[in-house]
Amino acid sequence: MSAVEAAPRVEGRSNRGTATWMVVPALVLLIGFFALPYLTIITMSLREASTRAVYGEGFTLAHYTTALGDFYIWGILGRTLLIGATVTVISLLLGYPVAYHLAKSRSRWTSLLYIFVLSPLLVGLVVRTFAWMIILSNNGVANQALKATGLIDFPLQLMNNSLGVTIALTHVFLPFIILPLLGNLQAISPDLAMASRSLGASRMRTFWKVTLPLSMPGIQAGTILVFVLSISAYVTPAMLGGTGGRTMSVLVVQYLVDNFRWPAGAALAIIMAAVAVIFVGLYLRLTARAMRRLP
Amino acid sequence: MKLTRREFAVGMTTAIASMTLPRLALAQSPLVVPTYGGLWAKFWEEKLLPGLTTATGIQPQLDVGLGKDFVAKIRAGGGRSPYSIFMGNENIAAVLRAEGFFEPFDLAKVPNAAKTFPQFVNKDANGIRAIVSPIGLAYRTDLVKTAPTSWHDLWENPEFKGKTGLYQIGNTGAVLFLRLVAELFGSGPDDFDTAFAKIKELLPFTQASWSGEVATALIRGDAIIAPVDWTEIMTLQDKGAPVAIIAPKEGVLAFEQSFNLVGTGAEKDAAHAYLNYILDAKVQQDMAKAFYTSPSNSESPVDDAMKARTPIVGPRMAEIKSYDWDSYVDKAADIADRWNREMA
Repeated sequence: MSAVEAAPRVEGRSNRGTATWMVVPALVLLIGFFALPYLTIITMSLREASTRAVYGEGFTLAHYTTALGDFYIWGILGRTLLIGATVTVISLLLGYPVAYHLAKSRSRWTSLLYIFVLSPLLVGLVVRTFAWMIILSNNGVANQALKATGLIDFPLQLMNNSLGVTIALTHVFLPFIILPLLGNLQAISPDLAMASRSLGASRMRTFWKVTLPLSMPGIQAGTILVFVLSISAYVTPAMLGGTGGRTMSVLVVQYLVDNFRWPAGAALAIIMAAVAVIFVGLYLRLTARAMRRLP
Repeated sequence: MKLTRREFAVGMTTAIASMTLPRLALAQSPLVVPTYGGLWAKFWEEKLLPGLTTATGIQPQLDVGLGKDFVAKIRAGGGRSPYSIFMGNENIAAVLRAEGFFEPFDLAKVPNAAKTFPQFVNKDANGIRAIVSPIGLAYRTDLVKTAPTSWHDLWENPEFKGKTGLYQIGNTGAVLFLRLVAELFGSGPDDFDTAFAKIKELLPFTQASWSGEVATALIRGDAIIAPVDWTEIMTLQDKGAPVAIIAPKEGVLAFEQSFNLVGTGAEKDAAHAYLNYILDAKVQQDMAKAFYTSPSNSESPVDDAMKARTPIVGPRMAEIKSYDWDSYVDKAADIADRWNREMA
């Protein structure tokens, strides 16, 4: 082999070497700030409980068996997943038309709509949640307005339950479904819809048969993002959920921070993470299968 | 850009060193002083710490957070606590004390402890409750016809049915209230079955995570009466809110900020000096003026203007119900769990 022939191969090997080294910082970061903390939490979840030390001497599975045999915990887990699913569905129903409009619009007001879409993220989380408390409380703006219009005589329970948490989470996570959808919808060539129309399909049929299927990757990404963020949200459920809207993240923090039960709290956190992984995995498989069937 | 192995190694070393530097800086600081946010942090920054430096020469570093955050940091620190002195409610301090993180103060190094009301100095100087914020019954003056005079009014005055605000169990205020109810209606502050039964009679009630949330519930009118600390209500009054607070005839509760010497801390002499400064009569008076605490120093001057806003001062400090938390530590988690399940 001549030197001229050998050069590209040496260059290629060198590039691969550099690329491998370039991965190292991210790998170190992942191991340091993700894998090791998770390992620590798993180890902590297996420690014996103690009220006279941070944790007891030996190891046990008792925190897992106790939690998994407790209907109260199952109830909170179910509520958390239900809130996550409801927020995801409502966000999709509300967010899709907005993303669609933004993708198609050529109005000079579009940038203003972008600001509206991002507005929930421009206000601090605690401030935003306090604002929802003012709106949703028994004597809040919503109930006062309903009373003033004569629709109700007694205030509706709009917070300290799952409803308040769902409303506030939908508000905050709406941009997280709109933005991936927007990117996806903008990438769909308008020629496809035009071809569908020119072949005689109605506007609605074109949407159902062309645009919606092609936007499935955006729907998948956005819904996973909103679902995961909703089930792991803490501040909003803690402030608006009360006892009737308590979620797993609130319970985990109560165990870890309020009750100083690190082993039991760590076990709950691991259970929550495992359930989230299972649900997201199932959802990915289902949506991937649906996308494969697309024309 | 092509990265050589040497450049990469230098880069990574720098990155790791920069992550380590804050820890080194922390280790070199003389004394890390934990305190709470809001009015507290403002007072510590503007008045207390500059005063401490002037009086003692110590240049402390402030760490703002919640008592439970400080617990987590001390626990996570293992044999090397970031703090040499801990501040937190006495029931929370009791957890770390039970776990062996604290050691007694040397009272010879805290001369102001001799002037502190004796009920706030723990046995063997294992913790001193230096900052006291009494908790009374606060109510809306415009929405309540008959002002409360007793804790029993929560059960007996029909005006308050469904209009009561309480702390949720994660807050010390709820634990204090639970023990008070056990004492008022049961065989003593450990009669939790009776306390749970009586508090359930108050359902439905608004539950709040901290005093600011109780205050918000009062302002919104979701609650018209609530056990809450003087600090919160005086602050609301200063803003013109129609709220008042009374000391029930059976006595008051209090958030007692317990200062403890951390055994694994590095600056124990500075910690003693800091506590001594906190207990100083003038400093206690300044705190009372800044956020309506009750001076724990018996020689702290209290004028009529102060008495009008914070009546639990001087001899009336005896009205504060203090509880023993050593045995409670073993039951705390089960009680919190029970509250979560039953108070819904």
